[in-house]
Amino acid sequence: MKTVFTSKLEPFLNTVAEQMELYVPKKVGDHFAYTKHDPAAHIEAEFNNIRTCTPVKEFLFPFRELAAVFPKSVETEKVEPFAVFGLKECDLRSIEILDKVFREEDFKDPSYIERREKMFIIASDCFDPGESCFCNAFDAKAYPTAGFDLNVSKVTGGFVIEAGSDKGREFIEKHSQLFTEVPEAAMAEREQIRAGTQQQLETNNAELGFDASVKQAVLNGEESDVFDVEAKRCIECQACTRICPTCHCFYLYDTTREDYFAKMKMWDSCMRMAYAEVAGGANPNRLIAERLKHRLMHKFVHFLDRYGMDMCVGCGRCVDADAGGIDIRQMLRTLNEELKDKKKAKAAK
Amino acid sequence: MNENPYQPLNAEIVDIIDESPTIKSFVVVPETPFKFETGQFVELTLPGEGEAPFTPSSSPSETDRMEITIMKAGRVTALLHDCTTGQKVGIRGPFGTGYPVDEFAGKEVYIVGGGVGLAPIRSLFLTLVDRIKDFKSVVCRYGARTPEDFIYKKALFGAWQKIDGVDIELTVDNADGKWQGRKGVVTTILEPADVDIKNAVAVVCGPPIMMKFATFKLLEIGFGPEKIYLSMEKNMSCGIGKCGHCMIGKFYVCKDGPVFTYEQIKGYSKIWD
Repeated sequence: MKTVFTSKLEPFLNTVAEQMELYVPKKVGDHFAYTKHDPAAHIEAEFNNIRTCTPVKEFLFPFRELAAVFPKSVETEKVEPFAVFGLKECDLRSIEILDKVFREEDFKDPSYIERREKMFIIASDCFDPGESCFCNAFDAKAYPTAGFDLNVSKVTGGFVIEAGSDKGREFIEKHSQLFTEVPEAAMAEREQIRAGTQQQLETNNAELGFDASVKQAVLNGEESDVFDVEAKRCIECQACTRICPTCHCFYLYDTTREDYFAKMKMWDSCMRMAYAEVAGGANPNRLIAERLKHRLMHKFVHFLDRYGMDMCVGCGRCVDADAGGIDIRQMLRTLNEELKDKKKAKAAK
Repeated sequence: MNENPYQPLNAEIVDIIDESPTIKSFVVVPETPFKFETGQFVELTLPGEGEAPFTPSSSPSETDRMEITIMKAGRVTALLHDCTTGQKVGIRGPFGTGYPVDEFAGKEVYIVGGGVGLAPIRSLFLTLVDRIKDFKSVVCRYGARTPEDFIYKKALFGAWQKIDGVDIELTVDNADGKWQGRKGVVTTILEPADVDIKNAVAVVCGPPIMMKFATFKLLEIGFGPEKIYLSMEKNMSCGIGKCGHCMIGKFYVCKDGPVFTYEQIKGYSKIWD
């Protein structure tokens, strides 16, 4: 582990920006969103307390992209190295999930892999968790634990920067003039802040009441009416899946360019009515309630069965974005209560 | 394996055969030889328009040309039906898991098909017939709405019936005056005496409703759920287990299927919808 200190973020971020495009969080209304960092503009980069409102998947799996051209090959745009600052633990976990699908399966997605390899990840610790943050329910920490090149922690008088990969270590070594040794007190303070934030998360979510049995609760909900109840609020805006950092459904469509044909890849949503429809018209998920159930089953049962991890990082983006007011925490809580009631009833027999 | 799984292989339609009022077979010649296993599927692209999943109906032993039988059912299939020979197309694949033909060796293969479901079955049938001595017998029960709706009529009514070790029986829902064969949906002609169930496997392919009732009938006459092979139809788009549209529980039909045993998927809801 290599850990250094800097009193100011700007020289460090500007150095990154000299080498590659750098995206930094910028406060827009109540939320943070990524914007391209321009050292010449002399606008200080903000240190986001929590994840941005938009998902990190946008950098790796763009909303719409070219998947193939034919019948002949044409010169396509190359992906240049880029960096993103301000990714949180939930973001890093979402990348881990996307990696499982696009990078580690026997069929690999070439464009995802190219972007992933060219991405320089500068993560940072959380502080002052948001109302919708519930990552601790999935055993996440309030600070990055793995999957970053560099991580930045804010302490009194400056920032502790830790390398988490060879790429990160090389950066620190190459630009040693930017950094000093970490003051002893800074490390202690970092741990203290981390523990405090973690405690805050636990307190905020104390009443969530669902635990490691999320899968059992969702499986038990096969006949639950929670899906019918929540479906009444759903306005089919699909925001929940678009904003979700782990949702990765897409569809392929064909289009004609000047002198070639293109196959395009574009985000899709399992909340869209025709999502699972086949040409003959059959559709297992015609009703909104069926689609809601499918979404939860995929996240907490099927993905877990297939890849050994939940397909939710507890970032709460869907809670913030849902135009109809559907709250995934509330659904899981209801399902968990139903499971508890069932167990109680069984025990009483 | 192709480096970019979304990249189609250039191909051309060289012949089109009218099979029934709503079904045509397309003979497609790929730019380079194309290998597949019977039961696997391909994504056929009509350039600039779209692509759709089909299981080739030709034998895998032919790699320089492939036959794909297509029912006019949606937007892409309607456009394909309007194509003429010489049309350039693209092929992606082959995708998924086909029929475990080697595991059928020494057994009776009981094939139950309906409508355009005969397309994948034709490929399997030709594969089995190529090495017919490896199997105890191949027993086929096919159904169609009317006599006119049978596909591969010439072979079905003629050459295939004469192959040693093959037993074919046909039925129609609605017969005309000339029809000499059985009447009724295909499930009504499945009999326990058709095969030695203890030493047989069943293969079912057809419209979802037919697959559902055929599966139940097979269970009823004594087939174990692990002996019933189903070729599932879902909305397969990417073909590589990522895009999500074709999920049955934890399975991606495009990657883990399209051929499943009933045992594998019976625990999930809505498999026939």
